[in-house]
Amino acid sequence: MIKKYLSIFACLLVLAFGCWAMAYAYFEVPMTYDGSDVDVTELYKDPSSYDINDPDGVADIIVKTDLEQTRAQNVVAAVVFDYRGFDTIGESFILLAAIAGAFVILHGAVKKGKEAEKE
Amino acid sequence: MRFKDGITEQNVVVKCGSDFMLPFALMFGFMVIFFGTTSPGGGFQGGVMVASAVLLVYLGYGREAAQSVISSEFIRVNEAVGAIIYVALAMCGIFAGGMFCENVFFRLFNIGDPLSAGTITFMSYAVGYKVLTGVGFLLLLLVGLLALDTQEEVDA
Repeated sequence: MIKKYLSIFACLLVLAFGCWAMAYAYFEVPMTYDGSDVDVTELYKDPSSYDINDPDGVADIIVKTDLEQTRAQNVVAAVVFDYRGFDTIGESFILLAAIAGAFVILHGAVKKGKEAEKE
Repeated sequence: MRFKDGITEQNVVVKCGSDFMLPFALMFGFMVIFFGTTSPGGGFQGGVMVASAVLLVYLGYGREAAQSVISSEFIRVNEAVGAIIYVALAMCGIFAGGMFCENVFFRLFNIGDPLSAGTITFMSYAVGYKVLTGVGFLLLLLVGLLALDTQEEVDA
């Protein structure tokens, strides 16, 4: 009985702490990154300054400032692992999940084949 | 040599071809991983190239040889290790006082050195390790499925 009440109490505690953290993150967390000194953000704030005649607006900026900002000669690697590093985390975990799913589905069949071989 | 595959004996030409191509494929794949930031390529592409060595071994020596040469347990575990290394490298930005996934030490070397890109280089290596183990495990799993087909043909 005590265990049940304890678990309810723990759940309520987690819920209250989560609500407090959400409120804190919404109202009081100081802004650590406002995107200043980044050309792409300024373009986003002021779209009328976007050069329509140039076909590669943002890509042009990335290509031109890549060597100063990341010192990677391969711009694709710089975009994949630095500008969009968070995206790459998601990609690699999607690969992990897909292979885990394939393993779960196919593992039984492979095991069955090995057993049939031994007989 | 005789194998219990659909084809009972591997052709000598196929075997010698896989022997000849295997070191070149491995070297090219690892080169694409290790020089991913200074030349075209990167972790994903090089990892898949290295993982194709599983198929070369299978073509030359059959399914059982591929399963006995490459430890599927080892590469299954090491895929997660690669993912953890990537996240740890991304956390380096926080420990250095910046943001998540921030590039930390990229001013130590001149432009053109293999390590001049800082964290990007090591992230590329981590993703390459993760992809080569993951896709290699997937190919090994699919090769292992071929045992079922041959067994059913023998039964029928």
